[in-house]
Amino acid sequence: MTALFASTRAELLRLTKWRVTWLLIAVWLTLNVTFVYVIPYLSYRTGGGGEITDGQSPESLLADMMPTTLAQSLTQGMPLFGGAIMLILGAITVGSGFGWGTWKTVFVQSASRSTAFLGTLVALAVVVVGTVVTTLAVDAGLSVLVAVTEAQPIDWPPATDLAAGVGSGILIFGMWTAAGVLLGTVARSPALAVGLGLVWAMALENLLAAAANLLGGLEPITDVLPGRTAGSLAGSFGGGGTPGVLTILGGGTAGLVLAAYLLAFVVISLTLIRRRDVV
Amino acid sequence: MDDAVHVQDLLVDRGGHPVLRGISFTVPRGSVTGLLGPSGCGKTTLIRAVVGVQVVRAGSVRVLGEPAGSRALRRSVRYMTQAPSIYGDLSVAENARYFARLIGLGPAEAAHAVEQVGLADAADQLVGTLSGGQRTRTSLACALVGRPELLVLDEPTVGLDPVLREELWTTFHRMAADGVTLLVSSHVMDEAGRCDQLLLMREGALLADATPTQIRQRAGSDDLEQAFLRLIRTQGLAA
Repeated sequence: MTALFASTRAELLRLTKWRVTWLLIAVWLTLNVTFVYVIPYLSYRTGGGGEITDGQSPESLLADMMPTTLAQSLTQGMPLFGGAIMLILGAITVGSGFGWGTWKTVFVQSASRSTAFLGTLVALAVVVVGTVVTTLAVDAGLSVLVAVTEAQPIDWPPATDLAAGVGSGILIFGMWTAAGVLLGTVARSPALAVGLGLVWAMALENLLAAAANLLGGLEPITDVLPGRTAGSLAGSFGGGGTPGVLTILGGGTAGLVLAAYLLAFVVISLTLIRRRDVV
Repeated sequence: MDDAVHVQDLLVDRGGHPVLRGISFTVPRGSVTGLLGPSGCGKTTLIRAVVGVQVVRAGSVRVLGEPAGSRALRRSVRYMTQAPSIYGDLSVAENARYFARLIGLGPAEAAHAVEQVGLADAADQLVGTLSGGQRTRTSLACALVGRPELLVLDEPTVGLDPVLREELWTTFHRMAADGVTLLVSSHVMDEAGRCDQLLLMREGALLADATPTQIRQRAGSDDLEQAFLRLIRTQGLAA
């Protein structure tokens, strides 16, 4: 336990001193604020109905920005661009260790390969949780600002809804981060891992889903692909019409499938790290 | 037990080819032992076996009384790879603190290691912006954190200017005087004379395991490079 704590502290130092970590979080927060509040608010002020907000009415746009829909606001950007950003974080965190050649010395000095790698995973989990909580705080602040500006009542969602939203956010980001970790481990290179991950997340899943629609009978497979499952979990809080947000699976089923993906990605990565020659 | 490293009949294959062909030697504690030989002779493979990251076909490698690579050795053995293995997008001090934290140590030990390699003035500089020699020294600082019992250095002076090389060798001997055992590989023969003990390798075999003085006497040459060449010829004739 002491060795795992030491590895986690070391990896947290690396992640917090790394400019890339802060840049990725800043990009995510900017995209989240832009697409969840700035564009809908501008559309609301100009009468709504715009293509970018899927033709929503001004009342509907305002309702989606209120504190009461905080769980939806928190999760709706996560399946698509938020997930891609966390995939990049996972891929470069592990891939850069191969790129800089640091894993081999880390593994010599750590209690075991598993301990060193688990320390990295725990540190990434801390970043994921921190990012989701920060996003919640930013969204809460902006929703209150919109409510006050538009003279609307400030009604918060039930604590259970909020907890479910935060848990789902952590699960979505955790799954994508673990996918990045797996790609970084397999590719042993940050660039290749990021490239492969983005091709999958941004293009291949949608192409497979489109092919399944054409061919028929393949939906049971494409419906549970990682990105589409993350979309279903986000969709269980509302926000239909947002790119990446789906209502194919129920929230509970989507959560379980995502947890299975997360666990599988971690176990495969750990197995590869333990068995393969790193030099 | 007085030996820091005890290798017996070590056989290693890589890519289906024999790389180490039945090597046996010991490294006394508190000494600077040079592992010398031309590029490709198996020095790095031997070093990897000593730090416990190399699969061996036969033979035994014991380090500080334990099997090489065993968990008990993780805090007492440090390995500096041939290419600097440090994070280029962190500063010198952050790299040292990272490796200090890995073994449960704090920033004071990290700062001490950075000072030891003469990089205190560049501590806040990003490694990616350093010269090749400075990167090597940063890698060395990360290996020095926490005062290890055995320090295994794979070609630590490659690319360094003569002044820096001199400083590093002085550091190595100071550490040895403090009880640290150093196994230092090099393909530069003029560094051989700086070692207490020499392991001369060629084509996966050990040509000599002796002090520089003994090697000079055995080969009948005051020049270690010439002595090494004579040993190769002698071995070749004997084979």
